[in-house]
Amino acid sequence: MEDAEFSDAFCGFIQANIPSVEAAELLLALVRQPDEALSAAQALECTAPGGGLAQAEAARLLEAFQARGLVSSEPGQGYRYRPISEELRLHAETLARAYNERPVTLVRIVYALRDSRMRSFAEAFRLRRS
Amino acid sequence: MIEFLAGAATVGYLVAAGFFLRYWRKTAERLFLIFAVAFVLLALNQALGHLLSVVSEPASWVYGLRVLAFALILAAIVDQNLFSRRGPPK
Amino acid sequence: MAAFNFVLYALVMLTCLACMVLLFRGYYRTGARLLLWSALCFVGLSASNVLLFFDLALFPTEVDLRLYRLAAACAGLAFLLYGFVSEHD
Repeated sequence: MEDAEFSDAFCGFIQANIPSVEAAELLLALVRQPDEALSAAQALECTAPGGGLAQAEAARLLEAFQARGLVSSEPGQGYRYRPISEELRLHAETLARAYNERPVTLVRIVYALRDSRMRSFAEAFRLRRS
Repeated sequence: MIEFLAGAATVGYLVAAGFFLRYWRKTAERLFLIFAVAFVLLALNQALGHLLSVVSEPASWVYGLRVLAFALILAAIVDQNLFSRRGPPK
Repeated sequence: MAAFNFVLYALVMLTCLACMVLLFRGYYRTGARLLLWSALCFVGLSASNVLLFFDLALFPTEVDLRLYRLAAACAGLAFLLYGFVSEHD
């Protein structure tokens, strides 16, 4: 997977939707099984074992995915991967590729983007534009 | 009212220091550690100034805490521009 | 002694103003809301410092601005803490 595939648009997708590696794994668990609706508990089982997500947090993440149009909610059954736009579908595919082929890079990007608001505070004190 | 605000300000400085400390642990940016220390000093300045009934602040050693806090903040800005690497690791 | 005090006071005031300016500039450049709240914090702290100067150097006996100094500092801190809490994941 090329560096160029980590485009600004993809990084924007990560920053808006993927606050942690566990969130990425949760989403990918649904992406891998588009024909099934998974509850938070079921989705958690599909992620890497021992990965530190509590069920309540997984539920919160799934709700956030739904709010952003990545998954749809089926009452009584759970959540199903159903992106509302082609762009989201492509980003999810890129995420899957990145997770499989460039996991270290993906992890670094996820956490660098999450910290970017904090870093912007520190960067504001640089007198010259970086 | 003054007692209430003095207490609120003291706690406010301390909580802000706590957030700066957390930011430092997450990003390893030295600036946050320095800001955390500075805000603790401002909390002390606030608390001691009130508890010791300081009337004319600059005449008291308590004011030195405020000066030290802002001197540290100034040092953090200088450090950020002269000695810190730019941006997150690539 | 008074001159020394003045230098110390100027240091505090200028640093406070510099933080305010840099954070507003950062907010203007990046749009990061945390910087707006932080800048407003230093507006409050600067106001508190200015009132300290008025209180002690200009009107030492006529007025006691302590209440307003504290209110300005508290307002500034409220902005900062709101920024920290709302911009935190």
